[in-house]
Amino acid sequence: MSLITIVQESALQTTAQGGAFDPESTQQLFANTFTGDAARALAPMVSLTVGILVLLVCELFEGLKKIRPAVFLGAILASAWGCWGLWQHTPEIGAPVRVLGGTLLVSQQVGVWGMVFLAATLVAWMQARKYYRQEAPFLGEHDVLMLTAPIGMMMMAGAQDLITFFIGLELLSIPLYCLAAFRRVRNDSVEAGLKYFVLGAFGVAMFLYGAGLLYTATGTMSLPELRQVGEALESPLARTGIALMLGSLFFKASIFPFHLWVPDVYQGSPTPVTSLMATGTKAAAFAFLLEAAFLVPVSAATLIGVLAVLTLAVGNFGALMQKDLKRMLAWSGIAHAGTLLFTVAASAASDGLLSAEATQAAVLYMAAYVFTAGGAFALLSWLEADGEHHTTIDGLRGLGQRRPGMAAGMTLFLLSLGGIPATGGFIGKFFVFGAAVQADMIALSIAGILLSVVALGYYLRVVIAMWMQPAKDGQAPPMAERPWAAACVGFCAAMVVAIGVLPGFLSGSTLFP
Amino acid sequence: MVDLIFYAAATLSVLAALGVVLARNPVHSVLWLLASFVGIATTYLLSGFQFLAAIQVLVYGGAIMVLFLFVVMLLNLGDPDAEHDAPVMQGGLTPRLGIGIGCIVAALTLLTVANANLAQLPEGVVLPIGGLDPLKQMALAMFTQWTLAFEGASVLLLATAVGVLVLAKRERASVAVSPPQTLTAAKEEAA
Repeated sequence: MSLITIVQESALQTTAQGGAFDPESTQQLFANTFTGDAARALAPMVSLTVGILVLLVCELFEGLKKIRPAVFLGAILASAWGCWGLWQHTPEIGAPVRVLGGTLLVSQQVGVWGMVFLAATLVAWMQARKYYRQEAPFLGEHDVLMLTAPIGMMMMAGAQDLITFFIGLELLSIPLYCLAAFRRVRNDSVEAGLKYFVLGAFGVAMFLYGAGLLYTATGTMSLPELRQVGEALESPLARTGIALMLGSLFFKASIFPFHLWVPDVYQGSPTPVTSLMATGTKAAAFAFLLEAAFLVPVSAATLIGVLAVLTLAVGNFGALMQKDLKRMLAWSGIAHAGTLLFTVAASAASDGLLSAEATQAAVLYMAAYVFTAGGAFALLSWLEADGEHHTTIDGLRGLGQRRPGMAAGMTLFLLSLGGIPATGGFIGKFFVFGAAVQADMIALSIAGILLSVVALGYYLRVVIAMWMQPAKDGQAPPMAERPWAAACVGFCAAMVVAIGVLPGFLSGSTLFP
Repeated sequence: MVDLIFYAAATLSVLAALGVVLARNPVHSVLWLLASFVGIATTYLLSGFQFLAAIQVLVYGGAIMVLFLFVVMLLNLGDPDAEHDAPVMQGGLTPRLGIGIGCIVAALTLLTVANANLAQLPEGVVLPIGGLDPLKQMALAMFTQWTLAFEGASVLLLATAVGVLVLAKRERASVAVSPPQTLTAAKEEAA
């Protein structure tokens, strides 16, 4: 129900009652709004918000600064517990449950997406320990901003209404703009922050414009009501609005032709922030894209599929040219967004029939990608501790002899990014292309799979450099020991192998029965 | 009569919004913004939202506007005409291309809006004569259906304040800050 109708209906009621304030009906309204379901849906976000407030209080007292990591981890764990509750104990009978006047979805998929966002945040935060030097006095603010982003992601994934989604989008974007420019003494970091901010603000404006046009055409901003309006969605006005909104979401998800900002921003930002951007933002954008895929007309599904193939091609051929591993991972992130877009195309092509399969494939893919890309970025931020030349492909030569553990981890992550069986990346690709084939997009799927093979070319180049090429003369080996980063890499590697070998614990009947 | 006032207010807000972007003096931009806010407040009033109209004038037209002016004066932006900013049309191909694409998009949107049947409001939307009783209703809507968006916006403001602090305040750095490295130098070093 849109805002204007709600206000008017209650106003008319009040007028009918002679304008008197009725405490009982207000109490009833509150009781109907803040139900147990609403509390369970809000629990993950509320725990993160409490974490933010406690972190801010800790900043006030010198003695409390030591407990910052504990507060951060506590907030993440409490939030994960809330998400686990949503995942395991949401009854999936018939219609999905919507709370807070129909603005928020309570479902298993929201819980699983929440876990994915929290994992992305945790991985990014762990590699940020001891990463900053000059900026170390600002670590408190860094943690606060990093803890805000997953709240926005959860709002985006659960939003059943364009206004709620928009607030979530801003809540995700604004901390990331600041974090991208966090190393303010470095020009490339400032450049990354500014580029991301200007283009991101433009993208958000496009979303608002599109949502306004859609509202003008249909008279509602709520997704369940938009499903009901039927022909009004086919008017040129609504179509223009949907196209603008898709453009904005494609920008966040780095889909061709909205991908141009990605390499510069990913390379210039601090590596932990890049990790969060590459995994978390992408997951949140796709969570909402899949939820709103019904807005895409069936006739446009092929176009989305073609965009997916183009994104894959641009990302993979761009990555082939790179000499720096961080920039290469940025281009490969574009390619992965292209693969994920197949799920949206499949959902749109089947007119919503395959939306459960598409969502499941996307969740699995993102779960694997969070740990794969997150682990690779964690290794990069570890290597950067000894100087940034260590992250070029030349700088990685001989790493296999000098630091076999690091080289083995990187090899695992790169193979998983390439989609080699027995790693998480393979399982994700398997389900995504499976959904696309189910939606009869055979030709596009074949093109996508062939392009994924191209990707192996540049992943294996790094593996060869690490294991088979000797280090250059006079190049000092990376020496730094960073326990947090090492723990992060170990955690990611374990999860990549676990998802690859035992996908059942994520994909089995427990995910979405 | 109501239509006449509506069209006058709507035209005012659109023209004033253009003025905000086109004015070269930042103070003029702020004053144009004020005119735009007044136009929007009039539209609210005509739709029956007296409270929203009053708040728009008081909070945006009053407080926020003073804040804007304060920041503009604080930054002490010099005489814009004496500065280096050349007229956009002399800036080579890219700005012209951008303006061209912008014009095409605007024309297309205008065409679609003009062709759309806007007279068809959703059924049941009848504005009560004499206006709504919006304060209570707005509060109820804000604290029931829109709780999440409302509270999300407050977290957003908090995060923005923290972010601005991080980007603006640099004295706390305990380590001596080296002079900024230029991008080209960084790239050369990498190569």
